Amino acid sequence: MLKPLKFFLVVLLLLSPLFVLSQVQDRFPKPDFQSDYIRPDLLTPAPRAVVLEYMDIFVLVAALILATYFAHKQRSRRNIFLLMVFALVYFGFYRKGCVCSIGAIQNVSLALFNPAYVIPVSVILFFVLPLVFALFYGRTFCAAVCPLGAIQDAVVLKPINVPEWLATLLGVFPYVYLGLAVLFAANGAGFIICQYDPFIGFFRFGADFNMVILGMSMLLLGTVVARPYCRFLCPYGVLLNWMSRLSRRHVKITPDECNNCRLCEESCPFGAIKKADDETPHVSRESDVKRLAVIFVLLPVVVFGSGWVGSRLDISLSRLHPTVSLAEEVLLENSGKRIEMTDATKAFRASGKPSEELFSEASFIQNQFHKGGWILGGFIGLILCLKLISLFIRRRRLEYDVDKGTCLSCGRCFAYCPYEQVRLGLMTPEELKELDRRDVRIKQFRA
Amino acid sequence: MKEKTSKDRIKRRDFVRKGLHTIVGLTAGGLAGILFSKSSSEEMVWQLDPSICIQCEKCAVNCVLPHSAVNCVHSYSMCGYCDLCSGYLQPGAKSRDTGAESQLCPSGAIKRTYIEDPYFEYTIDEKLCIGCGKCVKGCNSFGNGSLYLQARHDRCLNCNQCSIARRCPSRAWKRVPASRPYILRGDESRKYLMG
Amino acid sequence: MNTQPKELKRKNRTELWYNMTKRIAVVAAVLGGILSVLMIANYIQTKSVDPLNSQAISQLMTRLQENPEDTVLIEQIRALDLLARKAYFTHQWQIRTGSYLLFAFVLVLLLALKYMSSLESRLPDLSKGLEPEKTWESRLLSRKYILYGGLGLVLLAFVLGVLSQTEINKIGIVQLEKSQGTSDYPSIQEIRNNWPGFRGPEGIGWSYHTDVPTEWDGSSGHNILWKIPIPHPGYNSPIIWEKRIFLSGADRRTQVVYCIDADSGEILWQTELNDIPGSPERRPQVTEDTGFAAPTMTTDGTRVFVLFATGDIVCLDFEGNRIWAKNLGVPENHYGHSSSLITYQDLLLVQYDQNTGGRLLALKTQSGDMVYDQPRDVEISWASPILVNTGNREELILNSNPFVMSHDPRTGQELWRVRCMLGEIAPSPAYADGMTFVVNDYARLAAIKLGESAELAWEYIDDLSEVSSPLATKDFLIMAASYGTVTCFESKTGERLWIEEFDEGFYSSPILAGDLVYLMDMSGVMYVFKADKEYHLISQNELGERAVSIPAFMHDRIYIRGTKNLFCIGN
Repeated sequence: MLKPLKFFLVVLLLLSPLFVLSQVQDRFPKPDFQSDYIRPDLLTPAPRAVVLEYMDIFVLVAALILATYFAHKQRSRRNIFLLMVFALVYFGFYRKGCVCSIGAIQNVSLALFNPAYVIPVSVILFFVLPLVFALFYGRTFCAAVCPLGAIQDAVVLKPINVPEWLATLLGVFPYVYLGLAVLFAANGAGFIICQYDPFIGFFRFGADFNMVILGMSMLLLGTVVARPYCRFLCPYGVLLNWMSRLSRRHVKITPDECNNCRLCEESCPFGAIKKADDETPHVSRESDVKRLAVIFVLLPVVVFGSGWVGSRLDISLSRLHPTVSLAEEVLLENSGKRIEMTDATKAFRASGKPSEELFSEASFIQNQFHKGGWILGGFIGLILCLKLISLFIRRRRLEYDVDKGTCLSCGRCFAYCPYEQVRLGLMTPEELKELDRRDVRIKQFRA
Repeated sequence: MKEKTSKDRIKRRDFVRKGLHTIVGLTAGGLAGILFSKSSSEEMVWQLDPSICIQCEKCAVNCVLPHSAVNCVHSYSMCGYCDLCSGYLQPGAKSRDTGAESQLCPSGAIKRTYIEDPYFEYTIDEKLCIGCGKCVKGCNSFGNGSLYLQARHDRCLNCNQCSIARRCPSRAWKRVPASRPYILRGDESRKYLMG
Repeated sequence: MNTQPKELKRKNRTELWYNMTKRIAVVAAVLGGILSVLMIANYIQTKSVDPLNSQAISQLMTRLQENPEDTVLIEQIRALDLLARKAYFTHQWQIRTGSYLLFAFVLVLLLALKYMSSLESRLPDLSKGLEPEKTWESRLLSRKYILYGGLGLVLLAFVLGVLSQTEINKIGIVQLEKSQGTSDYPSIQEIRNNWPGFRGPEGIGWSYHTDVPTEWDGSSGHNILWKIPIPHPGYNSPIIWEKRIFLSGADRRTQVVYCIDADSGEILWQTELNDIPGSPERRPQVTEDTGFAAPTMTTDGTRVFVLFATGDIVCLDFEGNRIWAKNLGVPENHYGHSSSLITYQDLLLVQYDQNTGGRLLALKTQSGDMVYDQPRDVEISWASPILVNTGNREELILNSNPFVMSHDPRTGQELWRVRCMLGEIAPSPAYADGMTFVVNDYARLAAIKLGESAELAWEYIDDLSEVSSPLATKDFLIMAASYGTVTCFESKTGERLWIEEFDEGFYSSPILAGDLVYLMDMSGVMYVFKADKEYHLISQNELGERAVSIPAFMHDRIYIRGTKNLFCIGN
């Protein structure tokens, strides 16, 4: 019984080289069924219906409008909070955090530099709409619509005040992240924002072990440092920051005017409140002006220098591009420096594509990284100089107000303001007038 | 005097801000316009091209979901319905039956049923298939190539960057329009394109 | 009076809620913590033992191949397979359920904590007055840190950029270099997969086929697959490309090239090369222990090249047809020319060191056209070149009197030279891990460290070889002398590890296959020992006739040319 089987197998094995050569062909003829057997159909389950994509856009617009309304008109922290929970559930757990506005930066970069990539309309809208709202009304997106922000906001328990110098220093990283993300996405090397998104593992209920650990750590950190990703990493936050600074109407702490009662000083876990300050400095104005002049003179040098440094990173950064890393592996094997072949090089050699073509593609990409590195380096250099310059500008602030760039319009500070208390009807205007700045006698205080 | 200058300062600042505001607004609008010209209303989804796939077994491991969204599908029109199925049986299997020692599939997802002499039908149980591609390798090497891997869109999350696509050594993954989300083989592909 | 109990009641109620929430929070935290630990343990467990790729099952399967009828084994496999599959799907379920549960616990914990913190009234602390100094201090600190931080960032980027530039050249540059050659030549992988020249690929005595037999016996025929007589004598060693073995033989009247099938031992063709244009009327004088066909042939995968003592150099295709032939001029060589041929990409390289001076020749493999004829500042030599990649460039290293010299194989330009040799040089250089080794009797054994410049690292002056070329591995250097001494050194330091005396002397050179060294003495006895700090003899195998050539290693066979026959040794 088994002998003919063995023979058949032996014949098969001997003929196997022939089989391996041809990939897909009818080695065995199509059966001719005598019985009334019908071949089953291959199921092709469809992806998410297109109409649901439109629903996403609709929900985004509605959420943005509501967030703006709650922040500006209603000034209700509670409503913002509820909207945030809804956004967490809808954009986070239901849509699994993808496509998000932060990741849309990469799609936009790729679309601008790669003619072969077709960007879906929904992605464009996810990128543009929050920016437009921020340009007019401030960062209402961050507080109530962004799922990554929402999950961080949900774990804020005992926020500490990050010292100003540290916050300024860490504030450089979003720019670096933005620059790198645009560079990699535009070159087709990959989407690093998506790769290193710490929270998407929670939304999907599935992630690489390392990413789960990263996400957990970020959330744990988030219990004491409020919204660490938003403040010190988010690349989209850079764009929102710029838009928000130029916004026509931004939320203010007080609905009316500010009497410098200082009650809102400790209310912002994100350090976005600017104190009324005379800023009588130690340092003399003349020396500061001199220093500032030096910085202005050195600015082009710094920008050029860091641009040059950025261009020198072309080789190491380009290695993250799959074509370049494949070309390097093929090169290593061809020159005899590596003996073992990898899956990728085996597949490449089997594809029949000449290595010269691969090398010229890789060379082209390296040149792109060279040029991109100049721009990235120059950009970072410019940002560093501008930050330094901004630290020399003295403002005389007469009242307490938000930092328009970093305020997320979350509304936590509203309730601290006595004018708000008056607006809500919890205090009478007379009681307000009697309020002594130095004497803390507050009624019905809710944090 | 001081008040005037501070008021002037505020006016100047406001003017600069309004100017920048308009410029940025126009730039944003322009950017959006450029992007719209390059856009399509169609969503794109990820799919594996079976003619490029080298069955390296990475699809089973690299999906962000614990149960990979990729599994093996069977083109019944291409299948030879052989007794000695090289996608089902281990090479050198001594007996052609459903015993675990003869099967290639590590999770037992291929079901073999007798139809008539000498034909057997092979079906894939998607709940059990992990997408490792061992059966695909066997079928491609010695059979008709009717078994192949595909991303299943009832499970696939369609991530912005597919972590399987990123690690595929033969670069077999591409973005396809959501209206035609599969790259099929055999007669099924013709039916698919028409319907 | 009335409000007091009301407020007290409210306070008590709030305290009650607070305590209850605290308890819930603690419970949720503890349960969540335990669950996290369980999940991590689960993850670690499945990382180490993947149920669907079980070692145990594959081991049983291999056993089943040997005993296909063993029903007990079959039952075992089935049971194990079922367990493995169950384990896999249970693990999947565990991850899923675990994540949902963990999520639920974290949610409860969060809600509880939030509620607790909302119950605690937090009043702003305004005891300290406005501190303008502090704000300004903070501002100054920010300036300082931005400055330093910015500089640090740029510096870090610069260091990264510099570090990566030196590692591998920009692909564009290398691609240009490659595009110069237009003929098809084998890659280093293919070269290493064959035995294309004297002392194997690159000429350093390393076999990349390691699954070779360690014992055979010429007299009984054990493990001798076949042996065929080679009609015309020659001291050149067999070369092999895929299934073809090439040898040459010559005497006073004829020059022949043989092609032998590696599996059957059948002579596929033999071509006589007696009418080469420019060939001398009268054969030059050669001594008996050099002969007319001392240089070993070489191949580039599609052509074979042969050089005879007459100066005739011929290129044949794999079917024995002549592609081109010429005469390089009869070499002024009192023993007979013996330096073997080697190819580099599309060039055929010839070490043509004679009594009239040294020369390095390069001919195009396609046509035989001379590409360069580089004069060398050396005297006559009988050694053969090695062609190695010394880290970031290809070097052709030649042993001659008085210099060891390295040339760029593409241009022939001299790269470096070290004065360390004397006398009539026959052993070829060895190379491993950035060091090259040369030896000659009455001179020294010299170890040269390569880098931007070549420096003498160590030397040794006893028991030196005069014919056999030394063998270098990453850690050891092994030298065999004509009077039967074999010495092993620690290659980096030159520390002598062991020395062994054998009855017969060695003309053949030691070859490395895996971690075994194969060394054949003049009577044809092959000693197989480990390349190690101590001498461990694995086996001693007789061929049955005298042999001085280099054995060729291909797949799982060894081919030895004795003075009369060609042997194929395999299991």
